[in-house]
Amino acid sequence: MQVALRDAEIRRGAFVLRCDAAIGEGVHLVSGPVGSGKSTLALLLASILAPDSGSVDRHGVSSCLLSLQFPEYHVTCSTAAEEVLSWGLKPDPVLGRAGLAGRGQADPLTLSRGELKRLNLACVFSCSPDLLLLDEPFSSLDCAAKVRVCRAIEARKGGITIVFSHERAVLPRVGTLWEMEGGRLSRVGDVPDAIPRWRFAPQYLRHALERGARPANIALTDAREALCRIRD
Amino acid sequence: MIRIEGLRHRILDIPDLVIGAGRTAVIGPNGSGKTTLLELCAGMETPESGAVTLHGRPRSALSIGWVSEFPDRTMLFSRVYDEIAAPLRFCRLPCPKVDARVRQAAEALGIRHLLSMPLRDLSGGEKALVAFAAAVIRTPDILVLDEVDSHLDEEALRQVLGMIRDAGIPLTLICTQNMDAASEADSVLYVVSGTVRHQGSPEDVFPLLSGTCFYPPLWRLTRCR
Repeated sequence: MQVALRDAEIRRGAFVLRCDAAIGEGVHLVSGPVGSGKSTLALLLASILAPDSGSVDRHGVSSCLLSLQFPEYHVTCSTAAEEVLSWGLKPDPVLGRAGLAGRGQADPLTLSRGELKRLNLACVFSCSPDLLLLDEPFSSLDCAAKVRVCRAIEARKGGITIVFSHERAVLPRVGTLWEMEGGRLSRVGDVPDAIPRWRFAPQYLRHALERGARPANIALTDAREALCRIRD
Repeated sequence: MIRIEGLRHRILDIPDLVIGAGRTAVIGPNGSGKTTLLELCAGMETPESGAVTLHGRPRSALSIGWVSEFPDRTMLFSRVYDEIAAPLRFCRLPCPKVDARVRQAAEALGIRHLLSMPLRDLSGGEKALVAFAAAVIRTPDILVLDEVDSHLDEEALRQVLGMIRDAGIPLTLICTQNMDAASEADSVLYVVSGTVRHQGSPEDVFPLLSGTCFYPPLWRLTRCR
């Protein structure tokens, strides 16, 4: 299973997104500054946008799902329960998973942003697409909900999972790090070897690296364990 | 200063609360009433019972900057420049002064290249920065930011916090899920199920949360098990 971008370009005024990459099975994290093109890349990989030149080829990928940065853009129904039904899912278990048991009759747009995000992600993780694209899955979630999203990402069996995020505190264990800057996608490399080269590493990881620790992955517990090991 | 007395409003039940000058971080689980509290403190809602007093003055005598957790919902205009300029134009500042202030704010936030763009073409983080610029440009008496930082990278967040500090805004309320940022605020409010469970300086509040994931990650790293 692979998504291959061959000189894929999207041009919008002065902004140019240009990608040349092969993305295989596993969990990938794409980080980069605001406006660097992360969401545009997600739309390109989801085939919602077509490249102006170059190509995006999927090999062995039979299903794809994109969770948008703004959960309100996903809303198509007037109650939370209907919203879940529109995904072809049974409302009660999904609402329970979203921590919204008994709130099925609530208008999705009256939920808090964190609750709406939880509803969207509960629907997303009830499906098992080959290619899962998560644009800012942690935004607005409280730390307990972020941890649950990390576990759901790590529990995916096979397939390609790509996380686009600015998250600085609660990150899942990943296989490959990517950076996006000025519309250019670059592969930092596989974890753990690539971690010291990752320019957008969260503060806790930089703190550990600066003290000579070599975390096995990018989660807070990895940084903590690596730090404790060198102190012992 | 914001004073809350005998407040009962939707999920909130706050008998007595004073929020002092400086930057206050409002933290807590999703759905605990943080946004409702922020809306009251921004004077956007009238309490069902009890009182919320803002700087001891009537709401109409105050200017308040507000950024929603849904940045799209505060946008009035279609072009970035007009959105940021609007609060100054609404108080009839001369055009050359408006222009200078808009460009200065855009420069400080690194979004000058976006000024002539339509808002609909912006990324999520860029929209959050534009909404922030519009909220802060009049130097409001109270600035209320609802999870703006969840759309921002570290550098953009640093610029936002720098601008709040430099603008001399007397009171800022920031709802955030970034505990490292909250640990640098002047004070912290921990809201759970509609009540204020803890209030105080970060040094007072976070040790009470050390058994939870609300404890700042950087603090957790500085000590081993």
